[in-house]
Amino acid sequence: MKQLTKKWGKSLGIYLALMIIFPFVMPDEYYRSVGIIIGLQAIVAIGLCLVMGLAGQISLGQASFWGIGAYTSAVLTTKFGLTPLVGLVASAIVPAVFAFILGRAIAGLQGYYLAMATLAFGYIVQIGIQEWEPVTGGASGMISIPQVPFFGGSELSMYYLIWGIVTCVLLFSLNLMHSRIGRAFRAIHKSEVAATSMGIDVRKFKLNAFVVSGMFAGISGGLYAHYMGILDPQPFGMHESIKFLTMVVIGGMTSIWGALIGTLVIGFISEGLVMLSEVVPGLQGDVDTIVFGGILVLIVMFMPEGLVPRIRSLYEKAQAKKAAANAEQRVERKAAI
Amino acid sequence: MTELLQYVANGLVSGGIYAIVAVGFITIYNVSKVINLAQGEFLMLGGMVTVAMIGMNVPYALAAFLAILIVTLIGVLMQKYVIAYVKKASPISLIILTIGISTLIRGLASLIWGKDAYSLDPITSNQPFSLGGVNIAQQSVWILAAVLIVLFLLWYLMDKTMLGKKINACSVNPMAARLMGISPAKMSMLAFGISGATGAIAGIVIAPLSVTSYDIGVLLGIKGFSAAILGGLGNPLGAAVAAFILGIVESLGAGYISSGMKDAIAFLVLIVMLLVKPSGIFGERSVGKGGL
Repeated sequence: MKQLTKKWGKSLGIYLALMIIFPFVMPDEYYRSVGIIIGLQAIVAIGLCLVMGLAGQISLGQASFWGIGAYTSAVLTTKFGLTPLVGLVASAIVPAVFAFILGRAIAGLQGYYLAMATLAFGYIVQIGIQEWEPVTGGASGMISIPQVPFFGGSELSMYYLIWGIVTCVLLFSLNLMHSRIGRAFRAIHKSEVAATSMGIDVRKFKLNAFVVSGMFAGISGGLYAHYMGILDPQPFGMHESIKFLTMVVIGGMTSIWGALIGTLVIGFISEGLVMLSEVVPGLQGDVDTIVFGGILVLIVMFMPEGLVPRIRSLYEKAQAKKAAANAEQRVERKAAI
Repeated sequence: MTELLQYVANGLVSGGIYAIVAVGFITIYNVSKVINLAQGEFLMLGGMVTVAMIGMNVPYALAAFLAILIVTLIGVLMQKYVIAYVKKASPISLIILTIGISTLIRGLASLIWGKDAYSLDPITSNQPFSLGGVNIAQQSVWILAAVLIVLFLLWYLMDKTMLGKKINACSVNPMAARLMGISPAKMSMLAFGISGATGAIAGIVIAPLSVTSYDIGVLLGIKGFSAAILGGLGNPLGAAVAAFILGIVESLGAGYISSGMKDAIAFLVLIVMLLVKPSGIFGERSVGKGGL
C-alpha cells in the first residue's frame, strides 16, 4: 500500500479530486446518471483489463458476466423478496462461478480459440436470458427491481456509492499489478514458457484473472440492475462486449489507469454521438458501432500500446530530455567557472 | 421419419453455408495465419450489395456478379492496407484488429441500409417441391449446388493448379516460398480475395431463403468458425464435412428441443468440442496452439 501511494500518489490524488467534485461541477441529474453509468462500465473495463493486459488473454463476452450479475440480483430481489444487499453479494458470486467453470474449461486455450469460445459464451448467455422466460421475463424483461437503500438512493448518493466501488476496484487492481501475482501475470504475458519454467502455474493465474474479471463485471451488473430498476436482455450482447473491449484497447491494455481513461473516452464519445444524432436527422443505425470498430482498427494499426502508456512514455521522454539539458547546463556552468 | 428427413434436409442447406464460411476462414488462415473474424461480414455484404443493386434496377445476374466483385475487392484491400500493415502484431492484436474491422463493416452497413431485413427473389420459383414427403424449397437446391461448385472449384484451384501450389507453398514455409520467387504478401491478398468471393456467393444464395440484414454476419461467422475447428483448423475437407454435421445437428436441435435455442446449440457444440478435442475430428493440419 505504501508503495502504491508513492508510485500512484499524484494520479490517485487527481482522480479522487475529479471524481468527488464532478457531481457539483455538473449539478444536472442527467450528467449524474451518465457519471453513474460510466462508473459501472469502468468496473467491468478494469476487470477486462486484468484479463487482457495482465494475463494476455482476450474475452469477447464480458457483457455476459455483466448480464448474469444483473439478472442474478434482479431475480433474487423481485422473485424471492431478498434484500438488494444479498442480491448484490450473489451477483458477485454467481458470475464468478460461471467464469470459473468457463475459465477452467478454456484456460488451456489461447488466441482465436479463446476469442471464439468467449464470443459463443456471450451468445449462449443472451439466448439463455431470452429463452428462460418464467424466471427472467424473456425479451420483455423485468420491472420494479428495488433500489439499493444507500442514503435514500438519490442520484447523488448512488453516484458516490458506485464511484466508491470503482475506487476500491481500482486500488485492488493497481495493488495486484505490483504484487507477486502482478509480476507473475506480466511474466505470463511476456513468455508463457519462461513463466512456467520459473514455477508459475500459468493455468491457475489465468483462471484467477478470469474469475476476478467475472466477479467485477457481476458486481457492476447487480448495481446496474438496482440502479435502473428495469432490465431487458438487449444490453448484454455482443455490442456491449465490443464496447468494453474498445475501452480497454483505447486506454492501453497493460494499464489499469488506461481502462479507466478508456471508459471515460468512450463515455464522452457515446454522449457526443447521442447529441449528434439529435442534430443530424438522417443518422440511422449503430453509429457508435462504426466508431468502436474504427477505434479498434486505428489503435492496433497506429498506437498498439494505447493512450495511457503512450502519453506516459512521451512524458518520460520529455523529462529525460529536460534532465539531460539541465545536466549539460551544469557542465557548461562548471566549465565557465 | 418424414419429420426427421425434413430436419436433415434443412440442416444440409445451412450446413452448406457454414461450409463455405469455414473454408473461407481456412483459406486465409493457411496462407497468412490470421483468423479473419470479419469473415461473416463478407456474406452479409454479398447479400446486401446485391439487394441494393437490384434496388437500383440492375438485372439480377449482373447485380450478383458486381456484388461478388465488390466484396472480393474489399477482401483484397483489407489485406493490403490493414492486415499487411500490422504484420508483426501480436496474436491478441490481430484478433482485436479483425474484430474491429468486422464491427466497422457492420456499423457502416447499418448506417447505409438501416436495420431492416431485406429479401431477394429466389433464383427460380418460390414453389417448394416434395420429395418422399419432405418439402424442399427450390432455392435450397440452388444453395447446395452453389456450395458444391464453390467447394469443388476451390479444391481444384488448391490441388490441381500452379497457383494453388504457390498458395500451399506459402502456408507450408513462407521463407522457402519467397526463395522460389513466390510473394507471400501477394498470395495472402489472393487468399483474402478468394474468401471474399466465396463468402459473397454464399451470402447471395441464402438471401432468398432467409432474410438478409446488417447483422447476419456475426452468427454465420461464429458458426463457420465452429465448423472450421470441428473439422480441424487448416483442413478444408474436414471443415466442410464438419459444417454439414453442424448444420444437421443444429436443425435437429431446433426441431426436437426448441427453435429459440437453435443458435445456442451450435455454440454449445463449439465449446464442448474445444474442451474435448481442440484439434478437431479430423485433426489439425497447420498445427498451432489456439490457431496461432
